[in-house]
Amino acid sequence: MQLRISIQDGTPIYQQIVEQVKYLVAAGRLKLGDDIPPIRVLAEQLRINPNTVARAYLELEREGIFTMRQGFGTKLAQVKVLLTRREKLRLLAEPADRLLTHAHHLDVSLDEVIALLRERDAAMQPKSSQ
Amino acid sequence: MSHGGTSGWQTPIGAMLWEIWGRRKVNFAFHTIALMVSLFCVRWIQHGTNQVVERVLVMVMLSCFLGAYFDLLTCFGYIEADARKIQLGYPARLLLKPVSTLRLVLVPMLVGGAIVATVLLIWNQYILQPLAHTSALNPYWLGAIVVSFFWWMQALAWSLPLMPGRSLIMLIVALIHLGVGILPLLPNSLSGWQWLILVVLLVSAVLTAWTGLGLMRQGKWDGPSRLNLFWNRWPSFHTTGMRGKFGSAFAGQFWLEWRRQGLILPGITSGIMFVILPLIFLVNQQSGVPAQGADFVKILLILTLLVPLVISSMMGATIARFDQLQASNALPVYIGARPITNGGLVIAKLAMALASSALTWLTVLVVAAFWLVVLQRHWLISLIPDVSPFHVVTTAIGCVPILLLLILYTWKNLVAGIGAGLTGRRWVVGIFTGWKAASAIALVGLFTAAKFNSDFQAALLHWLPELFFVALVAKVAVAFAIFSRGLRQNVITSGCVGWIACGWLAAGFFVTGYAGLVCRAMRHSDLWLPITLGGFLILPLPDLAIAPLALTWNRHR
Amino acid sequence: MKSTLIKFPSPSSAEAIIAVSGLSRQFGTKKALNEVSIFVPRGSVLGFVGENGAGKTTLIKHLLGSLKAMTGSVRVFGLDPVLDPVGVLSRVGYLSERRDLPGWMRVGEFIRYTQAFYPGWDERYASQLLDQFQLDPVQKIKTLSQGQQAKTGLLAALAYRPELLILDEPSSGLDPVVRRDILEAIIRTVADEGRTVLFSSHLLDEVERVADHVVMLHQGRVVLNGRTEEVRAGHISALLAFAQPPGASPVLLGAHAVTGFGSEWRVLFGGSRTDLVTAAALIGARVVEERTPTLDEILVARAGGKGS
Repeated sequence: MQLRISIQDGTPIYQQIVEQVKYLVAAGRLKLGDDIPPIRVLAEQLRINPNTVARAYLELEREGIFTMRQGFGTKLAQVKVLLTRREKLRLLAEPADRLLTHAHHLDVSLDEVIALLRERDAAMQPKSSQ
Repeated sequence: MSHGGTSGWQTPIGAMLWEIWGRRKVNFAFHTIALMVSLFCVRWIQHGTNQVVERVLVMVMLSCFLGAYFDLLTCFGYIEADARKIQLGYPARLLLKPVSTLRLVLVPMLVGGAIVATVLLIWNQYILQPLAHTSALNPYWLGAIVVSFFWWMQALAWSLPLMPGRSLIMLIVALIHLGVGILPLLPNSLSGWQWLILVVLLVSAVLTAWTGLGLMRQGKWDGPSRLNLFWNRWPSFHTTGMRGKFGSAFAGQFWLEWRRQGLILPGITSGIMFVILPLIFLVNQQSGVPAQGADFVKILLILTLLVPLVISSMMGATIARFDQLQASNALPVYIGARPITNGGLVIAKLAMALASSALTWLTVLVVAAFWLVVLQRHWLISLIPDVSPFHVVTTAIGCVPILLLLILYTWKNLVAGIGAGLTGRRWVVGIFTGWKAASAIALVGLFTAAKFNSDFQAALLHWLPELFFVALVAKVAVAFAIFSRGLRQNVITSGCVGWIACGWLAAGFFVTGYAGLVCRAMRHSDLWLPITLGGFLILPLPDLAIAPLALTWNRHR
Repeated sequence: MKSTLIKFPSPSSAEAIIAVSGLSRQFGTKKALNEVSIFVPRGSVLGFVGENGAGKTTLIKHLLGSLKAMTGSVRVFGLDPVLDPVGVLSRVGYLSERRDLPGWMRVGEFIRYTQAFYPGWDERYASQLLDQFQLDPVQKIKTLSQGQQAKTGLLAALAYRPELLILDEPSSGLDPVVRRDILEAIIRTVADEGRTVLFSSHLLDEVERVADHVVMLHQGRVVLNGRTEEVRAGHISALLAFAQPPGASPVLLGAHAVTGFGSEWRVLFGGSRTDLVTAAALIGARVVEERTPTLDEILVARAGGKGS
């Protein structure tokens, strides 16, 4: 499970982990039943506080994406369920908010934003993934 | 480099000199004061006084001279610890300046040498000569020898960084100078060559310094040399660096103290013994005094005994140090952060001092035996009946308690000032040294007064037991007060108090018993009581009691 | 100047491993610490930040008993480190800023010496660290590089698994590779149940990654004190646009730093977004851009700025 943490980002680290995991699940790179690294291992790998990782895992378990179980002292989590369409849309809400805030600051109207989106989508066509 | 227009201080030489002046103003002031005091003492003596005062003043002057002069030597030595505190050597920052190596070498050497020689001549002219009433040694010769020694110390300190055994080489060079220095005293054919030898020494000192500093500047000594690497790895064949572990915190701390300081006293003592004993025999041979004489044996004995005692009393302050190369006297972090009480730290030091004293006296015996055998003087042993009224074997066995007493006394010399040093404040050590010097001088004065004034002597001897008793009671009371304060403040465990108190009592009773035996054998039973009380009085108790409290003052600032 | 965002458990919390209350310390005329109060709960990672000379090392020295508390009180594990050094130090692992290792000892000797004082020393862990840090036990400490000395000191502090680990600038002067090793060792310490870490650092991205709580000292005072993400969330870095360019540097209530010129000024603001918009409106500006500042920016602003 490859995650990237950015300190410069305004979002708290645990939230970045949660979002990235959700994204990986949505993109299909994490499939149902996959093993997730234990808290300690991920913390060492990312060089962050294990409590932060624990918090992220707890959040993901609360949202039903992870199942934690005790096994030989370490907690193994398995991806339980794929995201529904509604959950995917919820994931996109954050980037959308940011785009809209930017647009508001730059004094760009909603219609112009939509037009821009269509334009960018067209430009991406040959490389678009499902 | 500046040319005219600016003041003389702006040249490299000027800058170097100004730096010496700037850093050592206090030392210069101290030296001037010592000089003034000594001059005053000389004038006083020349006005004519009685023997007692004269002795005292002489002591004062000698201590002033020795203290001030050695201080001066270190002042102009131009030696600093490098940034990583690996070695003492030439100040590394100056090596990068646009100044030629020859200049870097000559400026401190010439300036230092000139000042050292001049000051010595001043002292000699105005103070030492009027006192000694003799001119056994040509002052210029003495000055030249001192300068040569000074230059060699500088040369070695500058050119052998990181070299193992550098101290040993310095000791050998110092001994060579001692040997050359007393050449004029020996009536043999070498004396004609003395000035030539001296010139050779001086020139070779400059050349060594120049070459060594030049090599250092070229970076030859930047990393550890092959010799250095070999030396550092040498123990690896019997230890991989991780031997069996220590049994307790005390064992670990004792090991640290031993490694740092344990071998200093035995090392210096055996080094000096290796030189002094054959010298005595040599001088004895030269001067034609019959070696069979009992006098000669007595002198030999006294000198042999004196060396460790004198050195240990000079070493008083060093026992309190934890790490020599550290700039401040504060407790090093790697010791202060350990879960050990201050009492535990002190006990480790005391134990180390005891072991060191024991080893010192053992080496004295070994070295003396060695020289006796080598120089084939073992017939000296047959002289023993002349000296002592007992059989040889009895004397030998009877000397064992004397050996123990000597060990005890050496130990006392080492640890007497431990409280002052452990405070970690220079001014406390200064006050303590001054106090010690003053009381030594007072003691000499008292002794001399007793010797020359028979009334005073009689009164002193009459009241001696009472005086001792009062002093002893005061000592025990003070120690008790300090110990209880220490226990209250949780700086020392009752176990440590037990060890110190029981040790004091045991040593005291040992002195009592042995003194009793000796007094009975010598039929001087009236001396037994003063000796006993004196024994208890000499052994340190409040000094040791205050040590943990002093360390607290250092550890928690 | 009062400290904001105090979210620590109260002084009466039983789980406060470190309880510093009203601590002040003066060296001559300089006030190194000024009414500092900090409570560190068990199992947390506390990051100390602040500019050089802000008082971090002084505070750490108080925790170890190297300095006596002149005013105020210091309690570690509920004990006074000056009155009971053994009780405190036997459970604390310490790495000082200058490492302060005995240069004359070999690495192996130093480890053996340290081991003598701690009954809870884990030999297997120690040799594991020795391998991992690639330290040669026969080498003399004075010939080690800075990174190796830091690793030696860290090994000696970790091997007996202390309840409290205090690190003063563990990464200062070290290359990124060594820093990574040290950070991983710290994280592994934290992952063990119930162990607390307190470290001071100039490398704020490390502090953000690893620390639960951040305490910022400035000129001996506690300026910030709270959970890491809350500290960040409590500040905004915004770009203000003025209709009329203000003549001089505009004064915004609640701002810690204001830079820029003409009609566009960047501010670092302490408070919520609504507060910012209100305050900006008061001086005739509108918020053009906003983002969450990094801890670095917050520190520089609060240290350099006039503060609230």
